[in-house]
Amino acid sequence: MQEKAHQINPEKARWLEDLGIAMPLCLSYLPIGIACGILLHAAGMNFMLTLLVSIVVFSGGAQFILASLLVIDAPVTTIFITLFFLELRYALLGSSLSKYLNNESPAMIFLFSFSMNDENYAVNYLKFVTDKHWTTRDALMVEHYSLISWAGGNMIGGLIGNTITIDLNIVDFALTALFLYMIVMQIQRRLSLVICVLTVFVSLFCLLITRHTIGIIISTLLMSLLGFWIEFQVKKHHPKPDETWILGKLFRPRTTRTTKEDVEVEKQLVEEAEAAEDDNQQANDEDEDKHERGDES
Amino acid sequence: MMNLFDNLTLASMVPGHHNLTYHLVVILIAALAAFIPRYFPMHFFTNRKIPEWFDEWMKYVPVALFTSLVVKGIFVDSKYQLISERVSWLGNILVYGHATYIISAIFVMLVAYFTRSMAFSVIIGLLAVWLLSFI
Repeated sequence: MQEKAHQINPEKARWLEDLGIAMPLCLSYLPIGIACGILLHAAGMNFMLTLLVSIVVFSGGAQFILASLLVIDAPVTTIFITLFFLELRYALLGSSLSKYLNNESPAMIFLFSFSMNDENYAVNYLKFVTDKHWTTRDALMVEHYSLISWAGGNMIGGLIGNTITIDLNIVDFALTALFLYMIVMQIQRRLSLVICVLTVFVSLFCLLITRHTIGIIISTLLMSLLGFWIEFQVKKHHPKPDETWILGKLFRPRTTRTTKEDVEVEKQLVEEAEAAEDDNQQANDEDEDKHERGDES
Repeated sequence: MMNLFDNLTLASMVPGHHNLTYHLVVILIAALAAFIPRYFPMHFFTNRKIPEWFDEWMKYVPVALFTSLVVKGIFVDSKYQLISERVSWLGNILVYGHATYIISAIFVMLVAYFTRSMAFSVIIGLLAVWLLSFI
């Protein structure tokens, strides 16, 4: 794959290399972007407004929810609170990338955070961790490529929303499917799975009691704090918390068990081991030299 | 969210007072809601250390939030009542939640678990809903 990229891009232009890295992301954004554009169109936005939303919000989940809130004519305050809590996860993503941006100007941080998203975060985080030549400029480029593809998809959806009739019941499930995918990706340890299962019942209870979207926010706060508290207690009372059952990693099928991160970490370990071995070899050679010389004398 | 389709057909698509100004206000609100959590924590922590408790707590926010949203999408209707329906093609048993969505959700989770591909998971989910709507 790497070699192929070099054939297409013999001068190794950065913008082309970054485009290659962003390409899988861009391709998977297109269909979801189109679905999102169709939904926003059905909620009454024309394609220019859809384009505007996709640029300033740039979040699949938030835009799907926005469309359904518009249709049920939710008050503006509800729209703000729901979207705010939905986007709150970017607080975590943003702060985890912040150490790579500590020499950047406020304008750069503004631009970078403006177009950060779950998926381009994942790409950039991996590149920052594993590629020491990866600059914030490259990362910003990846963000902008994915933004272009997302906004393009939204605009196409907004334009064809007029001409085709689709069963909105089906497109509406795209949001649930997107969240289900993110849940599966999020659950790495058994405790997350326990929290997920408990949340099903707690959120149902909260939603039926409050009869309002606020139920989602209450259950999110309760259950995230519960997860935090359980982990805190386990770490406090157990000498080796990582070896406990509850904080252990969940079983993954063989094909997807080793993530890209694992491969990179493994590669690094192997390189380090090889370097150490070389050192040892040298040391051994020197030792042998000494012995030989010693024998001679 | 669940009953988007019903709502759309009932309320002739768009509520009457939704004009361009209203949409622009909504977009501004949405942009603020998207921008504040993205910008301020990142800006704040570029020259400070992240407190460990914040990091540890934030780890569980996505799982709890996404699960709550999925529950709302599958089990709760737009009037915030538990959905229950008798499903003819399952021998008229009483199912809590939207049966089509529950079955499709299982497919989505399996595909996501085995492939880790976002596009593939979503497309399989939509296909499942579409096919099940014929039964």
